[in-house]
Amino acid sequence: MTSYTVYMDQLPGLLELWAREFQVHVPVEVENGIYDFVPWRKSEEIAWEYDVAYNPLKRFFLPPRETLLRFDPANCTAEVVCEAPRQLIFGMHPYDVKAANQLDTLMRKDVPDYNFITRKKNTVIFALEPAAVARNAFWASVDAHKVDAGYDLYWTRISSASFHVEVSTRRGKELLLAAGGLELSTAADREAARRAHQRIVKESLRDGLKYPWRETSDILNRAWDSTLWQHRARHCFSCGTCNLVCPTCYCFDMKEELDNTLTKGERYREWDGCMMDSFSRVAGDHNFRPHTRERFRHRYYRKGKYILDKTGQLGCVGCGRCVSGCTSGIADPKTVFNELWEADRHDS
Amino acid sequence: MTPDTLFQYVPSPATLVKKEKLSDFVTLFTFQPDNGKALMHKPGQFIMVSVYGVGEAPFSVSSPPNATGSTFELAVRRIGNVTNAMHNMREGQKVGIRGPYGSSFPVQDFVGKDTLFVAGGLGYIPLRSLLHYQLRHRDEFGRIIVMIGCRNPAERIFVDQIKELEAREDVEVYETVDCGDDNWCGNVGLITTLLPKIYIEPDITHVAMVGPPVMYKFVIQECRNLGISRESIYVSLERHMKCGIGKCGHCQINGLNACVEGPVFKYHDIQTTPEAL
Ligand SMILES: Cc1cc2nc3c(=O)[nH]c(=O)nc-3n(C[C@H](O)[C@H](O)[C@H](O)COP(=O)(O)OP(=O)(O)OC[C@H]3O[C@@H](n4cnc5c(N)ncnc54)[C@H](O)[C@@H]3O)c2cc1C
Ligand code: SF4
Ligand code: SF4
Ligand code: FES
Repeated sequence: MTSYTVYMDQLPGLLELWAREFQVHVPVEVENGIYDFVPWRKSEEIAWEYDVAYNPLKRFFLPPRETLLRFDPANCTAEVVCEAPRQLIFGMHPYDVKAANQLDTLMRKDVPDYNFITRKKNTVIFALEPAAVARNAFWASVDAHKVDAGYDLYWTRISSASFHVEVSTRRGKELLLAAGGLELSTAADREAARRAHQRIVKESLRDGLKYPWRETSDILNRAWDSTLWQHRARHCFSCGTCNLVCPTCYCFDMKEELDNTLTKGERYREWDGCMMDSFSRVAGDHNFRPHTRERFRHRYYRKGKYILDKTGQLGCVGCGRCVSGCTSGIADPKTVFNELWEADRHDS
Repeated sequence: MTPDTLFQYVPSPATLVKKEKLSDFVTLFTFQPDNGKALMHKPGQFIMVSVYGVGEAPFSVSSPPNATGSTFELAVRRIGNVTNAMHNMREGQKVGIRGPYGSSFPVQDFVGKDTLFVAGGLGYIPLRSLLHYQLRHRDEFGRIIVMIGCRNPAERIFVDQIKELEAREDVEVYETVDCGDDNWCGNVGLITTLLPKIYIEPDITHVAMVGPPVMYKFVIQECRNLGISRESIYVSLERHMKCGIGKCGHCQINGLNACVEGPVFKYHDIQTTPEAL
């Protein structure tokens, strides 16, 4: 694979070029120790060493609220709305790329989701090797430290002044070479990138799943009646934060609004979460998961079994956002899965 | 991407051509798609109906597959926003529809067999599609046994049609209510009390069952007691549905999406699926 060495002082020029064509988003420190992606401006200092972006990056493909239709209630007609800005996400960590790839697979299944696919297609992704591991992250233990597709370029910081950049797509290469004059990487730079990767993977592995993640589906096959669900969920507020911050959660609700003349309106989808009490209530007020323990369990089955069975991948990339977001301190997939695994070992 | 995918969420207009009250809360709506095309649904499938400005909701198509003409029927219980708006509509007004979606009762599998219909409350609405299909092709099917259970006589729907069914010699109808009233002289008791009263040949009987969530376990147990195999029992399971195409996650039953893999399931396929029944 072709790779180049890019120097820090070449970046401002490149960013300016890219920003002419794309809405460029970069990670910055928005508050002390808290990082998030924001639209790039010249004055913005990019947080190359960020550990995790506070908000999940699914929002670039599946916005928290997205209009799907504009309708005319009088004539009962509707037309498709698909706003898919040309955007460039610079600095996405591999686990987040992996999560986006998983959403892509699921959104293409059966009836493809046109809006999602179009947004994804219009988005350039520059992946970035993490330089720090968030306190609650465990991505390497679920194999989310590496991705082989779903990004255009892969950036690794190899010194304070330089990056090693691996090309994955033609679009990525063209954007990288837009200003011309880049050096192909040297063997030493490639080696430096490899070492940077190794170092961070090792750090991420310090805490994580204690067993091969593929076994999660089997473990869950035997865990339906575990007392763990009740134990942990007792403290659950059903707030849905763990759903909202998760980069692989994609459930949504459909709503609509009329304008104030009542002659036009739009139907939109909005993030929803299975931890919320209303999520599976049907007519007649019957609720198929009325208790927190059932909703809690459903979430882990979704992460550890249903998605795994469907796609061959764990539905959790180990970013740790849910762990940090849960006021109750109960939403940690690695602790839940490890506990179930331990219990399973003792049983069999 | 094909045009189909492009328009995955875009309803097309249909006009209300007839409205008929079935009970205090349930009304039968006849719609005509504005494009003149037949819905091409199969019995047990549902469509998403939009009342713009109010919302969208799933409804089972209650009429049999439209071999001729393009109108179709929905029987709708007034319970919330969309259903209220529908009940307030006048003939000539329009809704948006998309679908049909989901799995159906496999009509061909019922050919040459006896069919036991078990309808709890509004469950008669989707079953009516299969039932009327069978009546239209009466020669292809064996016995048709229809069991209908309701909470009370006032909640019975399609009362006249059921009376007509009862008058036919080639259909057996059994009705029950949980609680009777002064005028009710039929059976009183849960729908499970009807089953032991009839003679069924388990080997050649297929069961099609739709009802409230609490009903399934008990009726299936009775059917199993009668010797009917798990392979011959079909159930339709209702879940909250928002997208109808396997994306929004609301209708999940364990790893299954009720809107794609269901709503009609063979009991054999879901008997060990937690949360299904
Ligand atoms: C496959 C399927 C077939 C159905 N067929 C029929 C039918 O033939 N006739 C009929 O009267 N009803 C049918 N229903 C139920 C019908 O969809 C709900 O009554 C309807 O969605 C309520 O909409 P609303 O806007 O009037 O209610 P709302 O004001 O939204 O809410 C009223 C109640 O309905 C529940 N509800 C809301 N939206 C849904 C939804 N999308 N799915 C399920 N429950 C919901 C709410 O939780 C609440 O308890 C069917 C449901 C499904 C899933
Ligand atoms: S597990 Fe935590 S974050 Fe998730 S719904 Fe419960 S309290 Fe909220
Ligand atoms: S479940 Fe938690 S740790 Fe796993 S991907 Fe979602 S937010 Fe990240
Ligand atoms: S209704 Fe959305 S997934 Fe089934």
